[in-house]
Amino acid sequence: MSPWARIGTLLVATAALAAPLRSQEPATPVVAPVAQAQPLPGDSLYQLDIALQGADGAAFRLAELRGRPLLVTMFYSHCAAVCPMLTAQVQRLFGSLPAAERAPLRVLMVSFDSALDTPQALREFRAEHHIADANWITARAEAADVRTLAAALGIQYRELPDHTFNHSTVISVADPEGTVRARTSELNGPAPAFVAAVREQLATRPLRP
Amino acid sequence: MRALPVILALLLGGVAAAGERLAVGPAEFVSVLPTGTTASAVHVERFLMDSHPVTNADYLAFVAAHPQWRRGSVATLFADGDYLSHWASAETLGASARPDRPVTRVSWYAARAYCKASGARLPSWYEWELAAAADEAIPDARRDANWRARILDWYAQPFSHELPAVGSGPANFYGLHDLHGMVWEWVEDFDALIVSGDSREQGDPDKLKFCGAGALSLRDRENYAVLMRVAFLSSLEARSTAHSLGFRCVAGAPP
Repeated sequence: MSPWARIGTLLVATAALAAPLRSQEPATPVVAPVAQAQPLPGDSLYQLDIALQGADGAAFRLAELRGRPLLVTMFYSHCAAVCPMLTAQVQRLFGSLPAAERAPLRVLMVSFDSALDTPQALREFRAEHHIADANWITARAEAADVRTLAAALGIQYRELPDHTFNHSTVISVADPEGTVRARTSELNGPAPAFVAAVREQLATRPLRP
Repeated sequence: MRALPVILALLLGGVAAAGERLAVGPAEFVSVLPTGTTASAVHVERFLMDSHPVTNADYLAFVAAHPQWRRGSVATLFADGDYLSHWASAETLGASARPDRPVTRVSWYAARAYCKASGARLPSWYEWELAAAADEAIPDARRDANWRARILDWYAQPFSHELPAVGSGPANFYGLHDLHGMVWEWVEDFDALIVSGDSREQGDPDKLKFCGAGALSLRDRENYAVLMRVAFLSSLEARSTAHSLGFRCVAGAPP
């Protein structure tokens, strides 16, 4: 089992014991978490079979993120135009939530650039933008998987001959089962409706039998 | 009983469809899409393209072998509610979907899965556009006003009639049929074409939605037929299906 699956399993397991600060809870060995034993909703992002690689170089599947709310968007690290604003906006959204409230939230930023965004480049990107939180995942994928994820997120992109990317900016929030609950393209200012949708997901407890 | 339609599909698939994959390229090609920098051509590597669109018979064999793509079984993320809705049932074609007609009402995800299962992939836009620039005689007929008019005639006709059998149109320079005059066709990067308003003003708030948005405008405005394709494809979501939207596959290293 990959580290992400293990973390997800532990968190879902401890969440089922209803403690708000899950990461402080001791690991409870549970064979199969209830939430993951149930069939995925048809519109879940976790229907996608996508292989990702994190900034630490570890491989994981998108579906391993199941079980917690997810803030997800796409970027590339050598993007000089909109991406820094996109990153800043995610930081604003993430930072606007009190630490205790956002504890269950994961952020996933997946690069468009399969070739140049190596784990090393992702680590440099994290350092440059002071992204230290382990719940904030930056990842790369092979080109076909990048296209698949972008399509599911409603993100348009095209690589230009100079190896930059034209792309739209969409930040989505998915519930623990992977259904997208809200999207925003707002980059400059607060996005109150979107933040409200995120907080609603944070207030939602995982499914119980 | 479940085996019968499968066997029929395989038989029909072997006869009516299978088709050939024919070589296109390599070529330096000037696309209608802007490159973002100069007006230079793009390089398209050699690839092999299905000689005609994937048929209902082909697709029936695919869903029989991959039940997760049956109508009624497919996850809603991957196809909208009209997916294969003109088939008589999940494993029966029926009168509205004859075996030799192009399969339509399939989503991008479904088309992609089909191609992958046959060891192939969807063409990129550049590949499709390159293949479709040929008329019967020459590889690039896009300057030919008569040819353009012939294609536009097709777009002017409503889609209410039954789709023709694949291969019924003339073969083009490469031996490919039906790139025009039959159905719209999915491409791998359908959501990468990004048609947005021409002549954006500086400071347009929409501009912030795109990285490098200054580069977005289409060249070759006289090539309406191809531009309509771009516009149509850009209007779709990956789970969209339509009566007039099918696909074909290509083999060769991805661009």
